[in-house]
Amino acid sequence: MSKLKTVIRHEYLTIVKQPSFWLTMILIPVLIGLIIALNYFSSTSASERIEELAKDLKKVAIVDQSGLVNREVVTASGLTLSAADQAEALQQSVRNGEQDALIVYPADLAKERDYKIYLNGNDITKFSSVSSLGNSILQTSLFLPLGSAEIIALAQEGPSTTLITYENGVQTAGINEYIAPGLFVVLFYMIFAFSVGYMLTSVSEEKENRSMEMVLTYVEPKTLILGKLLAVSLVTLTQIVFFGLLTGAGYLIMREMGGSISLPMGIDITQIVFNPVTLFFAAAYLVVGFLMYAGFMTATAAAAPSTKEANGFSSVFFIGAFVPFYFISMIVTDPTNPVIQFLSYFPLTSPVTSLIRNTVGNIGSIEAWLILAAMSVGMVLSIWIAVKAFKLGALEYSQTLNLAKLFRR
Amino acid sequence: MKKSLVHVKDFNLTLGDKNIIHDLSFDVMPGEIFAFLGSNGSGKTSTIRALLGIYQPTSGTLWVNGQPLTPKTAANVGYLPEERGLYVRSKVLDTMMYFGELKGMTRDAARQFSMDYLERVELADKANLKIKKLSGGQQQKIQLGVAIMGNPELLILDEPTKGLDPVNRKLLLDIVGELKERGAAVIYITHLMEEVERLADRLLILKDGTARAYGTVAAVKKEFNSNSIEDIFVKIYKEKSSEVAHV
Repeated sequence: MSKLKTVIRHEYLTIVKQPSFWLTMILIPVLIGLIIALNYFSSTSASERIEELAKDLKKVAIVDQSGLVNREVVTASGLTLSAADQAEALQQSVRNGEQDALIVYPADLAKERDYKIYLNGNDITKFSSVSSLGNSILQTSLFLPLGSAEIIALAQEGPSTTLITYENGVQTAGINEYIAPGLFVVLFYMIFAFSVGYMLTSVSEEKENRSMEMVLTYVEPKTLILGKLLAVSLVTLTQIVFFGLLTGAGYLIMREMGGSISLPMGIDITQIVFNPVTLFFAAAYLVVGFLMYAGFMTATAAAAPSTKEANGFSSVFFIGAFVPFYFISMIVTDPTNPVIQFLSYFPLTSPVTSLIRNTVGNIGSIEAWLILAAMSVGMVLSIWIAVKAFKLGALEYSQTLNLAKLFRR
Repeated sequence: MKKSLVHVKDFNLTLGDKNIIHDLSFDVMPGEIFAFLGSNGSGKTSTIRALLGIYQPTSGTLWVNGQPLTPKTAANVGYLPEERGLYVRSKVLDTMMYFGELKGMTRDAARQFSMDYLERVELADKANLKIKKLSGGQQQKIQLGVAIMGNPELLILDEPTKGLDPVNRKLLLDIVGELKERGAAVIYITHLMEEVERLADRLLILKDGTARAYGTVAAVKKEFNSNSIEDIFVKIYKEKSSEVAHV
């Protein structure tokens, strides 16, 4: 027990004492914030630029062969509607640079849902503004018969929705039920991005720097692996606490500064539901999934002769963790589909698939236990492979451990 | 008669399809330096790994202090492997204390031992530096410090002076000599025959996993009718395996 404690402390401190560990933890939220801010500012400035350009677009000719465009709408935007038979001549004037652009709504617009823009020059921003102008003229013309500006806006932009859900005659929390289990999906990826990689590095570096043989003289391979697993779990916990504190601090600062914090999709923090059964399965899938991936990473690190090669092999497991996202709509809407059933039980895709299904509540209690059992088998198998690969490969410094050797001995 | 500290009897080792060691037997006494010799690939490292319990013997007995060695019973063993290295991203003192604790020392005892040792090898001012900041020779001193932590009764050194300058080589050999004086048994693996002549009480020359010479330095010299261990070593390795009887 004391050796296990020593290994845990050593592994934990080795990771958290690295300045790069804290730098990464601080930089990630900063980078996310920067990306959001840049995205916001660039989209704002882009739309402002389009509006500015639209104001300056006086040399734009419009030809309507479809009969769907309203002349008043065109006039209101400061342009004139040209006769349908002038299309060719106007096209030539765009080519010559006498006109900036020409918008032609063809006769079969309703059927083909396509119109043409002729533009002088290759300016993509200018194209966006002419295109937005063309769409705006067409849509406003089509919606004009509806009547008031409010009704036109409603038809054009669509309404927002307030969801009220019932189950067994009682009103439920709707989307707020998904928040707590959904956080486990985010947590899984956080753990995957940081901690599972630490496991790989921890073993492969120990092997690469040749300290493994000295360690194995005093520690059983099982104790060493378990110590590393637990240390990496503690590192994960540290990260969760750190990000939790950071979020809490951000929330308090925003509140002190009088800023309003509105969450998307009508999420209300006070209404978040904490269903113990759902949370139990979320936690179980997270822990078992993490241990399974950590086992595979350990085996990979033990089998490969260097950190570089171990990183190369580990990409297989990263692919496994991201595959379910390509099927997310099917996972949510069609859980009985054979593909989704396969993803639910296949070890490498099971954790994410099950966590998503658990979040949206399309997993029955028997199936939830069956998936957990299958995942546990995967976890035991991965740890067994890890220990075996570790015993055989930890002292192989120059060659990759052969899979056949792994199962033969 | 002294009781042997290391007792190896009829040891055989097969790894995969390869027979690495054949019927190897030898003893190492407390307070002696035992030179374990052989060219690369002769089976020295595999024998040591089996003695330490890292490899399982195919057959035979490998005992230290009357029992097979396992991580649980290895506290009194110091090992400096040939393929050695340290946690380059960790600090010197942290690394030494970690190994001290793995050997069963308390944190305080491990700290005290580490600082005393670092003072002796003139690296006390580097205690809180990361190992990667040290030179190769300095790292080797730390590795020896890790191996001798807790004053082991069995010290296994695999090419300990490889890459050391004469000053540090002397320092290392002095430390080994002190441990011997205190009664520790030292299994000393080297390719430098002058070190064997100077240090060893007894020796074993291994070729293709088989003992070709075994006994006190004087007895081996007498048996091979030579005054030089190096000549004996070369002679053994020049002969075809079938021409030399097993010891």
